[in-house]
Amino acid sequence: SESLHELEDTDLDALMADLVADLSATEEKLTAEIQGLKAPSPPLSSSLVSTSATSPLPPPQAGKPSKEDIEAQMKADKIKLALEKLKEAKVKKLVVKVLMNDGSSKTLMVDERQTVREVLDNLFEKTHCDANVDWSLCETNYELQLERTFEDHENMVEPLLAWTRDSENKVLFQERRDKFEVFKNPQNFYLWKKDKKTLKDMKDKDKELLIKENFCGPSIIVPDLEGVLYLKEDGKKSWKQRLFQLRASGIYYVPKGKTKSSRDLVCFVQFDNVNVYFGKDVKNRYKAPTDFCFVLKHPQIQKESQYIKYLCCDDDWTMRLWMTGIRIAKYGALLHGNYKAAEKKSVVSSAWTNRSTPSSSNQSTPSPTIRGTRCPPHPQEDFGNLPPPPPPLNEILPPPSPDPVLPPPPPSLASKPSGPHRKQPSGFPPPPLGIDNNLPPPPLPPPIDEAPPDFLPPPPPNTGIGSFPPPPPNTGFGSLPPPPPPPPPPVSSLPPPPASFGGIKKSLHPPPQDPQFLPPPPPDPVFTSAGAPPPPPPPPPAFAATPRANARPAGSVKKMPPAPPKRTTPVAGGGGGGGDLMSELMLAMKKRSDH
Amino acid sequence: NSKYSIIFPSGCTCNLMAAWDLSVTVEDLGPDAPPVTISVASDLHVGGVIVKLVEKTQIKRDWSDHALWWDQKKMWLLRTAWTLEKYGIHADARLIFMPQHRPLKLDLPNGKTVRLRACFSDPVFQTVMGICRQLSTFPLFCLLPFYILKVCISMSRPCLYNGMPAHFAESEKMEAVYKMLSITQTPPAPEVITKQYRPASVVDKAHINGRWLDSSRCLMQQNIQENDRLWLRFKYYTFYELDPKYDVVRLTQLYEQARWAILLEDIDCTEEEMMLFGALQYHISKVSQSEPQALSTNTAMDDLESALLSLEVKMEGESSSATELCVNVRFRPKRLTLKGYKQYWFKFQDTSIAYFKSKEESIGEPIQQINLKGCEVAPDVNVAAQKFLIRLLIPAPEGMNEVFLRCENERQYAQWMAGCRLASKGKSLADSSFQSEIQSIRSFLAMQRNNSGSSSNAASSDESINTHSLVSPRYHKKYKTKQLTPRILDAYQNVAQLSLSDALMRFLQIWQALPDFGLSYVVVRFKGSRKDEVLGIAPNRLIRIDLGVGDVVKTWRYNNMKQWNVNWDIRQVAIEFEGNVNIAFSCVTADCRIVHEFIGGYIFMSTRSREKSDVLNQELFHKLTGGHEAL
Repeated sequence: SESLHELEDTDLDALMADLVADLSATEEKLTAEIQGLKAPSPPLSSSLVSTSATSPLPPPQAGKPSKEDIEAQMKADKIKLALEKLKEAKVKKLVVKVLMNDGSSKTLMVDERQTVREVLDNLFEKTHCDANVDWSLCETNYELQLERTFEDHENMVEPLLAWTRDSENKVLFQERRDKFEVFKNPQNFYLWKKDKKTLKDMKDKDKELLIKENFCGPSIIVPDLEGVLYLKEDGKKSWKQRLFQLRASGIYYVPKGKTKSSRDLVCFVQFDNVNVYFGKDVKNRYKAPTDFCFVLKHPQIQKESQYIKYLCCDDDWTMRLWMTGIRIAKYGALLHGNYKAAEKKSVVSSAWTNRSTPSSSNQSTPSPTIRGTRCPPHPQEDFGNLPPPPPPLNEILPPPSPDPVLPPPPPSLASKPSGPHRKQPSGFPPPPLGIDNNLPPPPLPPPIDEAPPDFLPPPPPNTGIGSFPPPPPNTGFGSLPPPPPPPPPPVSSLPPPPASFGGIKKSLHPPPQDPQFLPPPPPDPVFTSAGAPPPPPPPPPAFAATPRANARPAGSVKKMPPAPPKRTTPVAGGGGGGGDLMSELMLAMKKRSDH
Repeated sequence: NSKYSIIFPSGCTCNLMAAWDLSVTVEDLGPDAPPVTISVASDLHVGGVIVKLVEKTQIKRDWSDHALWWDQKKMWLLRTAWTLEKYGIHADARLIFMPQHRPLKLDLPNGKTVRLRACFSDPVFQTVMGICRQLSTFPLFCLLPFYILKVCISMSRPCLYNGMPAHFAESEKMEAVYKMLSITQTPPAPEVITKQYRPASVVDKAHINGRWLDSSRCLMQQNIQENDRLWLRFKYYTFYELDPKYDVVRLTQLYEQARWAILLEDIDCTEEEMMLFGALQYHISKVSQSEPQALSTNTAMDDLESALLSLEVKMEGESSSATELCVNVRFRPKRLTLKGYKQYWFKFQDTSIAYFKSKEESIGEPIQQINLKGCEVAPDVNVAAQKFLIRLLIPAPEGMNEVFLRCENERQYAQWMAGCRLASKGKSLADSSFQSEIQSIRSFLAMQRNNSGSSSNAASSDESINTHSLVSPRYHKKYKTKQLTPRILDAYQNVAQLSLSDALMRFLQIWQALPDFGLSYVVVRFKGSRKDEVLGIAPNRLIRIDLGVGDVVKTWRYNNMKQWNVNWDIRQVAIEFEGNVNIAFSCVTADCRIVHEFIGGYIFMSTRSREKSDVLNQELFHKLTGGHEAL
């Protein structure tokens, strides 16, 4: 596969000339292209693969203030475009056969810049699956009997290039729970020592807090993992037991006769150059003590080698703990970002499937010319003079899409370099109808915009009134108190909310990007009402009318950490002491809000 | 003190009290001056006493900072409207009239000492806030009172007195102080590290925590005298909103505290981690010398013009293929061939190396071309023996191929090493970091040369740092500098490109990722237990550690905590967690107040929001940390 690495040598000058000539082409060309897009999908063949995404865009032509400006702008745009095209020209593309769950397969063209996430999105469109977060692309290594789920942020093409030419490796499209399990049930990974019942009964807010603590802080915290694993020694057939420890900096083991103290630990492997794989059938293949085996190797290694490290665990769960822990240590916050993106995608997709017509788009049929699962990349030979045919349409997404939440732009946009995007609306309105995929995205359901799922407000009221809310550790959002007790029936004697209430209410909607934002203290009425503290401070009825506003400010009063100690007598929630504390806290809060 | 009443014709009564003598020591009169005696009545308020005193001393000065300190009761008489009777002051009271703001020597995390005036009458919490305000020009800084005073434990430290009496108006001085606070210190000499006190066990670490001052009481009440030396340290390991742009001082001091924690093994780490910390320290000290103040170098280019310009430049760089390294390198393909470095003509292009029989044949097909992307690069260098080997572990489908390149001299080695490193990360020689990579490799070589003995060529030693300065004393014994230097260099390659603030942040991140990070230890005796155990207090949890084995026995998270109480009579802390879990313990190496303040402090932090509120909720802090005295 050496040839794959060789970049095409292009005569830059000629290329430039070509590109600049292209610039003069305008809408007509685009129109032609779009029409081309609407044409029935031609069979996928290798010649199509080379169609590039370099369809030129009209030079800027919107109303401009001065001539110089125009010229400068034109020049800038030209250079930019030319550069993009230059890059584009060198882009490698790979035809990849992906095996579906049902044994069928789909063939895609993947551009070397695409991430696994983009390919997944592409597959969602093709398969009309439910787009849930578990959908994954996996790589299997036939010769080594290994399996690995690609991470969503990974480059798709790179690992495939490491395959040998005659490889029987496969890419699978499957639901893999393990990919994001740590974000659904972080307690199973971070508090795995606790008993099963505690883990099972973990409240959502505690889960959120765990994620916050471990993934959203300044530093990523890996699960505290330590245990005896079986190690297949380099190139040998025997398996040896060792006490291993996972740290952010790598896997370590305790050498014979030493203590577990950090400074005595011996580094077994660091994660920069290895990936973690699941090893299949190791009992038979390597006389392993168990079949719960994970493997660490450099992605380039494809055959039996002493540089592959095999580690066996006593049970399936331990193995998954370690594999997830290693991924956290290796990828850190990226994993969390992947999860959030996948979650958003799944919400958007479900909205899509609900709204769009079922009759579907370009079902790409595997081309007969494709052998094996991977075809060599096709160098770019011409630069955008052909209208791109539909199949690549999906593939050629603009380079890493900045925000996956956004509804996918109409494909006509997507098939162009993203640079001069802004010209699109004026120059060429997206076609109102055409292929399904060209439909502008349906309006998003408002909740998506307002509160991305990962930042959903805390669970509905469920904690006891009398008990103190657990003091949340150092994080903002996770530390939101349990919601207030259900509002009591309106008390007429309470003062009406002040006029400023509306403004306050507004500010109670924190921007979703800032989960740590804590709402400002509740408006005055709360304090006045709490002057003579009733056991649990009843939220003013005004709040009851606006549940959203209600949840937080009242909570921020209620959430107060456990009462400070009193002399000998325990402080109970509703007791006199508690009430006193409450009123003082409120005074304090009021002071804060006054500033 | 008999009372007389005068009854006015209108029926009003007025109580008159007998006058008595009150003697007050006025500090400004000098240590030997006798107390000033004034005649007062019990209904005279404190303000009146002060007026009388001032009149009597006949000194003209600004008395506004002065207040009365009641020595026996250990309290300030700050409520000037209160009468002597209300305070319960009689003729036998020993009162001292003195300023509330008094000089103090503070040991900063970076080892420097500052002398400043601190308030001796406010609760320590507030005093610390005031100090933070003085120490930094950035308004944000003063809002983050994570500095808490700790009494100095070793008086033998050399006094690096950096005089700065609080005349901050003069900008030059201000600048000097600011520099001292915001620029990282150069690595200390290895002997300095060795001489410092190092905790040898968890119990040692626990003892240090017994010394935190009570934040709800004032300095005077805790027997702190004028000109005493105190440690100023970050006590709570939650660092809010650390923004390298605005928090330069905090970031720097935090780094210094972390660095010393690592060097003195206050927190344990592995050898690999120690090498990385060492590499970062080296890098930080290098960068901060070369780019003082300029913390953020790589700002995003928002201007299209400049973006285009750089694109154009880059394009030029790409099109001209002046990015080749061609040289004769001796080469040993596999380890198995024992001898035999054969000489070939090598060409470095993009991320690959290719080799030819000779220079003449280099136009044709190479014997082999090796792509270095994703490979491991390790040095095998002995300057004294003029051995300059580059060991490459090149991944291939069959496994890793080990390849050695033998360079002729330092210069060649630095170039090829730099090229290999960049290539392993997928960067070509055209990358802008190529030259700086060469530079750093050469400076490391220089270090090795200087360390390896001969003092004859010590001329260029200003460029070098003794690598023993970068690691804890354990490694001074384990490795000679010439063994240590390549290891640190090895770790250095991953951080060499970081800007100063990024490097500082990275240091803190790795520190925070250590398993024991954020733990403050206290030796305790659990209720019902017969042996001492250690309680570790972390930002989000408490852990119980068995002293014998050193294992964590149990972990409790604060978010499951329902309440905690301190029984001040029997000095016992009791905590209730969800699910009817109750624990209680008495504290052995620290007052239970300290444990209480730690827990309360962390819970206080968790209530702090991210909003940029200017106000720190002091009441809440005291409520959570103060105990019964504050209620």
